[in-house]
Amino acid sequence: MPGIEFTLALAGLIFCIGALGVLLRRDPLVMFICIEMMFNAANLAFVALSEHLKSVQGQVMVFLVIAVAAAEVAVGLAIIIAIFRTEKDVNVDHLSELKG
Amino acid sequence: MGLSYILFMVFAFSAILSALAVVMTRNTVHAALHFVGHLLCLAGLYSLLHAPLLGVLQVMVYAGAVMVLFLFAVMILDMGEQERSTIASSRWQFAAAVVAAVALAAALAAFAKPSLGAALAPAGDAAKDLAADNIREIARALFRQYALAFEAVGVLLLTAVVAVMVMAKRKLES
Repeated sequence: MPGIEFTLALAGLIFCIGALGVLLRRDPLVMFICIEMMFNAANLAFVALSEHLKSVQGQVMVFLVIAVAAAEVAVGLAIIIAIFRTEKDVNVDHLSELKG
Repeated sequence: MGLSYILFMVFAFSAILSALAVVMTRNTVHAALHFVGHLLCLAGLYSLLHAPLLGVLQVMVYAGAVMVLFLFAVMILDMGEQERSTIASSRWQFAAAVVAAVALAAALAAFAKPSLGAALAPAGDAAKDLAADNIREIARALFRQYALAFEAVGVLLLTAVVAVMVMAKRKLES
């Protein structure tokens, strides 16, 4: 099994790919998927450290993060669908209703 | 270099490749399906890292429930037809995003230096096998030490369900 450094670097790389996706893509669903990818990178770091420290606490944290992410996905998708039912536009750059 | 090492590398690199595919593909449905592959690779990594319960939960909750929800949203929004407007419009925007991500990657890689493993000494018994009593250990921590957080997550899920129903109902009335 590779060491903790490899797994943490992998988690960091996946996090950066997710961040790149949020910065680059203009499709709200893909941006949302990339946010989930960053969640998962954090989870991977939790699991790796849990394995390295021989403690189950990190795994409990991942359990809680998965539950919170499920709630977040439900609310986020409902908001996206509510917006795009009325807007019929899939580019987040064109959304400016909240502009002051 | 045993079988678990090879499996770990296979899962790690397919996780990276599927993550890149999510960002690069222009079709939203394809992105969602690549993300399912990414989640399955992570589930394999969790199992190899002595967290079999989380591997199963990852497949059931993420790859099962959450991604079905995503695919339903793609279907409702009819995203498949609008594949052109996906990548950032301006070239400067693109360059700025790439530079930001590379800088972030460098900063994160600086943390993962080889001395890190030695610096983080195992807190518990070094010979303990986390996978042996995984479910019992997690349940014990979850219902004793983290009982309050567990209840709070339950309330959060209930609140999210109610909020989503209110949002959906208001759309039907208008």
